[in-house]
Amino acid sequence: MGGLNIAVIIKLEPDFSEGNVSYNPDGTLNRAETKNTLGPHSAIAAHAAFFGRVMYDAEISIGTMGPPIADLALQQAQQISDAEELCLYSDRLFAGADTLGTAEVLRVGIEKMQEKMDIVFSGHRASDGETGQTGPQTAWKLGFTFLGNVISYSVDLETRMVRAKRLISLQGFPSVIEEVEAPLPVFISIDPTYKSNYNTVSQRLAFQKYQKEATQRAENYKDYFKIFNAKELGVDETLVGLPGSPTIVYKVERVPKSTATRSAEVIDGSDPEQIRKVVSKMKEALAAMVIK
Amino acid sequence: MAEKYRHLYVVIEHEDGEFLPVSLEMVGEARRLMDSFNTKYSSNEKVVAVILGHNVQDLSKQLIEYGADAVVYADNPELKDVRNTIYTKVIGQIVQDTKSLGEIEPEYASDIKRPRYMFFAADSIGRHLSSTTLVELESGLASDINKLVIEDIEMSHQQKTGGTKETYAKTLEMYRPDFSGFLWTTILCLDNRNPAFKRDYHPQSCSIIPGVFEPLKRDSLREGKIIEFTPTIDPQDLKVKVLGREIIKSEVDFETPRTIVSFGRGIKDDPEQNIKLIENLAKELNAEIGVTLPMSKKPYQISQALDSKYMIPARVIGTSGHKTSAMLYVAAGVSGAMQHVMGMKDSGFVVGINPDEDAPIKNECDVFIKGRMEDVIPLLIEEIKKQIQIVEVQ
Ligand SMILES: Cc1cc2nc3c(=O)[nH]c(=O)nc-3n(C[C@H](O)[C@H](O)[C@H](O)COP(=O)(O)OP(=O)(O)OC[C@H]3O[C@@H](n4cnc5c(N)ncnc54)[C@H](O)[C@@H]3O)c2cc1C
Repeated sequence: MGGLNIAVIIKLEPDFSEGNVSYNPDGTLNRAETKNTLGPHSAIAAHAAFFGRVMYDAEISIGTMGPPIADLALQQAQQISDAEELCLYSDRLFAGADTLGTAEVLRVGIEKMQEKMDIVFSGHRASDGETGQTGPQTAWKLGFTFLGNVISYSVDLETRMVRAKRLISLQGFPSVIEEVEAPLPVFISIDPTYKSNYNTVSQRLAFQKYQKEATQRAENYKDYFKIFNAKELGVDETLVGLPGSPTIVYKVERVPKSTATRSAEVIDGSDPEQIRKVVSKMKEALAAMVIK
Repeated sequence: MAEKYRHLYVVIEHEDGEFLPVSLEMVGEARRLMDSFNTKYSSNEKVVAVILGHNVQDLSKQLIEYGADAVVYADNPELKDVRNTIYTKVIGQIVQDTKSLGEIEPEYASDIKRPRYMFFAADSIGRHLSSTTLVELESGLASDINKLVIEDIEMSHQQKTGGTKETYAKTLEMYRPDFSGFLWTTILCLDNRNPAFKRDYHPQSCSIIPGVFEPLKRDSLREGKIIEFTPTIDPQDLKVKVLGREIIKSEVDFETPRTIVSFGRGIKDDPEQNIKLIENLAKELNAEIGVTLPMSKKPYQISQALDSKYMIPARVIGTSGHKTSAMLYVAAGVSGAMQHVMGMKDSGFVVGINPDEDAPIKNECDVFIKGRMEDVIPLLIEEIKKQIQIVEVQ
């Protein structure tokens, strides 16, 4: 029975929480004024990894591609997951990559981690307009079985099998929870509704123990931190950054103001007389209902 | 002229013998695009639907009636459930299968290598399937697209063309609304013509937001080719076992109620109190409560009770959540980003509550109440109490 090695790929993102986010007058994000933080979906992926730490004594590694300041995200993810290896892949050559070029860096990064991985977690998607493609693309490059939208999982260390529940939501159909089983290694992208459950006393004790350890480690995160440039990683330079990206952003424009589909009657909200008229219109609209 | 890349392939999704609406929406948009493409370029490229599953012959026929010129289907018990690995492999085989590509258009049989364009649905299945398939095909993918244009593009690009001016003919311009909903990013998938690292990137692919495009009316007179593809199935690609599937009933119901009251970031000045106001309004109207996407990310410090009840993905209205055609839709403190509008525009009567008369939601409203919800909702509640008494519909 071997141990379990878990990697998490994460991302530094603008902090969309109230007070930290700043918008331009035209409603677009003001990137210069907005703070950065560990992306919320990345944080959930780190929680899923920590579940593996508590339940199966897994060893956790975290990888991210980003600018040097992305070490902040690694530290925050370490605080959640009790990771003992933090890897930042940072090089000007990586800049401007689309998801294919990013997935290539992450693949090489994961293969270079100190252990051979059994499970790799990614978040559902990034919040700053990202696509949800990087996770599955990295999985395919690694040759790992990909499980998406996972809301819970367990591992049988004996048989080296994973069981997972996946939430599948399709427009026009009721949502489905699918239970699947697959041999390790697997790549799991975590659903936003993922929850870790620690049911027994010993699990809760292990949770506390590792949480304490995580805090100590995160205080000294530099001891666990490694930074790699393109050369150190040994990536093929034509497969990363701009050369490795099939897609480009051609232009960015404001969405033209939609032509009004309805001609709104504008009403002064402080005038009770006008509100009275609105309500009688609402009443008409609901005429099919039983109204007294 | 021999062309290596032709046609637009659409990957179809279905459940229990029925198409997902987005599948027919994609076929409809593909038809419109290729009709104008063929006129513009005096060409005859096809819309090809790709469908995988078990017992899918009947669905294949219907795809022709909904606008496809050809359907390539793979029918196998191992394809009954959508499993990413085997699905990716089989789709990869189909789009590179020169035999079926040749059957679609015999005169190009010897030249054609791959589709020119490819569509997937931007949902729980298509989002991941498109990602893995495009790695398998080593080409580009744009996600969450809601507008498509095909044009010749002349450009010089440091990386793509090595700085010289080049014409990229028949390029698919893929429009993607950004996270604010007010910016549109156009994404292109272009071959590298830079001599330093020449490389072809086809198909040009994207995932398409459900609910955006109109399907065509079914027409039983439409004709087309139906081609069976026999996949090569490697047991290595069948490692995932589906143990069970359970339909979940959501605690939030957007189907039965005739009224929905939604709120967005406009609650910000006093989230706790404003949600309570919304609750009261919803109670008077016997309404279900919806939210905008940012609400589901829990942006405010509020009581646990309200947080876990309302700030959840299950309540989101829009492309990332539910689509409603409620009889009455009240949007309080919602700006009207297009991803939200896609989810509520089919409602019967729409009332907006917003102090900003320039908010795009106004364009979707029958009545736009200009004012702060803190002031407006109490007046509304008072008046509704006087005028409307809703008895539970039997
Ligand atoms: C891929 C993708 C998918 C998305 N899917 C969805 C989706 O399905 N659904 C969705 O909703 N969004 C979705 N979004 C997000 C969307 O783009 C917008 O960011 C979001 O809808 C805006 O939410 P909002 O209206 O609550 O906030 P804002 O845009 O910030 O608007 C708040 C409004 O409140 C008004 N206001 C301020 N004070 C008051 C007050 N006191 N009383 C009343 N009004 C007030 C303001 O004038 C403003 O108009 C998606 C984004 C992406 C990138």
